[in-house]
Amino acid sequence: MNYPVWYLPEIGGGLLIAVIAVLHVFVSHFAVGGGLYLIYAEKKGLRESSQAILDFTRQHARFFLLLTMVFGSISGVGIWFIIALVNPAATSLLIHLFVFGWAAEWVFFVVEISAAFVYFYLFGKMDSATHLKVGWIYFISAWLSLFLINGIICFMLTPGAWLENAGFWSGFFNPSFWPSLVFRTCIAVMLAGVYGYLSASFTTDESVRTAMTKFSARWSLAALVGAVPSGIWYVLALPEPAKALVLGKSPTIVSAGQWGAGAAIVVLAITLVVGFMRPAVNTRATACVAMIGALVLLGAFEWTREAARRPYAVNEVVYSNMIFKKDLDSINRDGYLHKALWVENREITPDNRVEAGRELFIQQCYACHTLGGVNNDLKALTAQMSHNALVSYIGKIHQIRYFMPPFAGTDQEAAALAAYIASGLHGKELVAAADQGAADPGLELFESHCASCHDSADLAPATEAMNRQEIVETLASLDEISDEMVPFDGSDEEAEQLASYLYFLSERDDAPAAAIDAEALFESECSACHAVEDMGELVSGWEKSEIFEALGKLDELNDEMTPFTGSDEEKEALSGYLHNLGRDN
Amino acid sequence: MAVPIPSADTIPVAWGWFQFLLLLTFPLHLLAMNAMFGGLAVGVVLQFKNDQVSNRLAHRVAVMLPLVIAFVVNLGVAPLLFLQVLYGHFIYTSSVLIGILWILVVPVLIIAYYGAYLYDFRFKTLGSAGKWVGLLVLILLPCIGYVFSSNMLLMALPERFVDYFQHRDGSMIVSGQATFLPRYLHMMTGAVAVGSLFVALLGRFRAARDRELAEYAERVGMRTFFVMTLINVIFGTWYLLSLDREEMMLFMGADPAATACFVVALLMVVFILVMSFKKRLVATLCGIVVLVYLMSFLRSWLRSALLSDYFNLGQLTVVPQYSSMIFFFACLAGGLVCVGWLIVKTAGTLASEQ
Repeated sequence: MNYPVWYLPEIGGGLLIAVIAVLHVFVSHFAVGGGLYLIYAEKKGLRESSQAILDFTRQHARFFLLLTMVFGSISGVGIWFIIALVNPAATSLLIHLFVFGWAAEWVFFVVEISAAFVYFYLFGKMDSATHLKVGWIYFISAWLSLFLINGIICFMLTPGAWLENAGFWSGFFNPSFWPSLVFRTCIAVMLAGVYGYLSASFTTDESVRTAMTKFSARWSLAALVGAVPSGIWYVLALPEPAKALVLGKSPTIVSAGQWGAGAAIVVLAITLVVGFMRPAVNTRATACVAMIGALVLLGAFEWTREAARRPYAVNEVVYSNMIFKKDLDSINRDGYLHKALWVENREITPDNRVEAGRELFIQQCYACHTLGGVNNDLKALTAQMSHNALVSYIGKIHQIRYFMPPFAGTDQEAAALAAYIASGLHGKELVAAADQGAADPGLELFESHCASCHDSADLAPATEAMNRQEIVETLASLDEISDEMVPFDGSDEEAEQLASYLYFLSERDDAPAAAIDAEALFESECSACHAVEDMGELVSGWEKSEIFEALGKLDELNDEMTPFTGSDEEKEALSGYLHNLGRDN
Repeated sequence: MAVPIPSADTIPVAWGWFQFLLLLTFPLHLLAMNAMFGGLAVGVVLQFKNDQVSNRLAHRVAVMLPLVIAFVVNLGVAPLLFLQVLYGHFIYTSSVLIGILWILVVPVLIIAYYGAYLYDFRFKTLGSAGKWVGLLVLILLPCIGYVFSSNMLLMALPERFVDYFQHRDGSMIVSGQATFLPRYLHMMTGAVAVGSLFVALLGRFRAARDRELAEYAERVGMRTFFVMTLINVIFGTWYLLSLDREEMMLFMGADPAATACFVVALLMVVFILVMSFKKRLVATLCGIVVLVYLMSFLRSWLRSALLSDYFNLGQLTVVPQYSSMIFFFACLAGGLVCVGWLIVKTAGTLASEQ
């Protein structure tokens, strides 16, 4: 809200960051491990008095220079540019907090490029001992660059004690610093081996190709083995919400994990089979497959790390949509549009509701959602939801899906955002909230007072043993149940209406007869993730009883789902609806 | 509509430190950029002349080009970092407003950089095609300069920030602003002037091996420098006159320190013109280094004046973290020792080769 949003709805800033960042880390980690590889390759050539290996090393150094110095360093600047464009608030925070960390990294960058030039241009001209020292200066400065960047990147995921003391060193040496550093060092060495394969595969001298393929295999295998325990250590160092996301609660991480595991197997197989058993098979095609495997592996790791940080850009400090956590209460109280700098619609009127909703979408949702793009297309994700379902969903979005930031703003603003999605994006008719509430004042009171934290189904067991009077009394003393709640502050009549609504959440003998709208149930419970057509396909061939059973244990089908918690009648109605969908399919 | 100005983040040490580091490192970036662009401009023109000594000199420029680009980028990182610390709330905003152009800097620079390596590594095998590769790089580099000039200009014009609502996709263009063209031409013409001094210097480094080349380089370099500097005096005057009267008067008495700096800079211009006319390379080089520093100070004064209605550096809040600055200076000292050692060893190796 402090900075303008660079708005490219069909592309999305996240995708641009991902493309630049993954390609950059694939080269920048090689720039670290590859430096060490060059030193040991040169030493091997000197030890064995092999001019052919020294020539290979020089050729590899040229490839190394062209890749790391041009693509590596410029794409590094590219990351800086793109994160500042996509999330200037978080970038500014990181720049200001760690300016001298970045500045020190710049010093190592100076040393790195100076040493890289001397190493390459004076290869074979400088005496060997001095030349190797230049190699060490290169490697140490490159690794120290990694050391510094690692501290700042890990701070974003695990700020640790910085949250209490705001100290530079507390933020830098944060809880995931060491495991991440060891893991990234292993990755850097693994990449050195994989790039070594590639150079070896281009060598025409067969003895050199075999020798350097084996040499490279030792590097990548040792590093892959080292990466496993350090990876586990890394995950264990994560705070609980991030750990839960990594271990299965985040659909995007589950997908990245599968890609990463597959890629690791490819790299491992090529390392073992080609590297050790049949080094002569190291053809250019094989080496390219290993390169692609390593790229996917690294991409999966970076994607996982980024996704584990959600809903934050800097954990517990600033959300991915540039809203600071500390500002949330005042925004919810005073309204987002009043406080935001970069919006045109500051008051919501019936005439500008959709346009104001669009601005709220740009400010709060676009950070992760595109419109019609490949990444998190909000149009597709909300196609099945009505305006009312969206209003309800936006209000409790963070409770339902932890990895999404809470909506920041008033109820009126949430309704405007829902109006933009339902009407502006999907052309659906908007039903006035007042018309809804008039039908059931208890429901209206529940939505305005309770729904931000409670799902109605969750409250049914809590009120099951109470009569209406007891519920009224409980509403007046909610703060005794939990510090997070405040007593209901409505009139006596409103307390009665709300109590009546809560009372009938449980099965009652005196419950008013009401037909259950299974389609509405599907819309509110399932449609956020499932389209009607897809659902029909999914349950095609299932018996109604099977669907009924499955609804009670959805978490066993998929980690991302939670069991349906409605009443048996609702479950029965929903099963019937789904069964019909399956039969029609 | 009110001008939207983002609130600034806190800084870890007093702002003077960052201003010092910014004004220390930015001229170094400028000098390297001038050597890169101006050197290449001279090199490509020489290659089009296509006589033997011109080709040899163009080859020396081509060999140095990738190294110079690396240092242009590297020496650009530090001032951009310190600029973001001091003026982040302006530069992040202006970057978003010209987002498309700003991010295009990255691919354009990668292409230009690879082009420079191609120009260097394949100079002889490319033959006459080489000059076209050089020309392509020569065309791409000022495009990057155009984007940087746009951003640096826009960050100091907050009243144009409201145009965001017509350019949410980052498609804003500011080159129609009255000060843009003279500012850009002043910068690029200066680059060609300083770059031609770099070419003269390259020749001198080669003097022991190729005296003809050294003399030719010095002749071409000094003459080009003299002519381009004269032209740049005209562009500089145009730039000064394009400023609003209030900003222009800063350097004409309204601010004594800025005026003094401006007068010394003008005297330095006279000095380098005389020295270059007399073919005094080292004196001209020393003069141009001082002049680039003075021009950077003037530029900083102008930016402060343009932003004065909205912000001054004294408004930044300090949350002290001085230990991090000590760590940086320790790293800098260690880094300079390493670079010094590398230079000594390189010089020793090159000397033993001759």
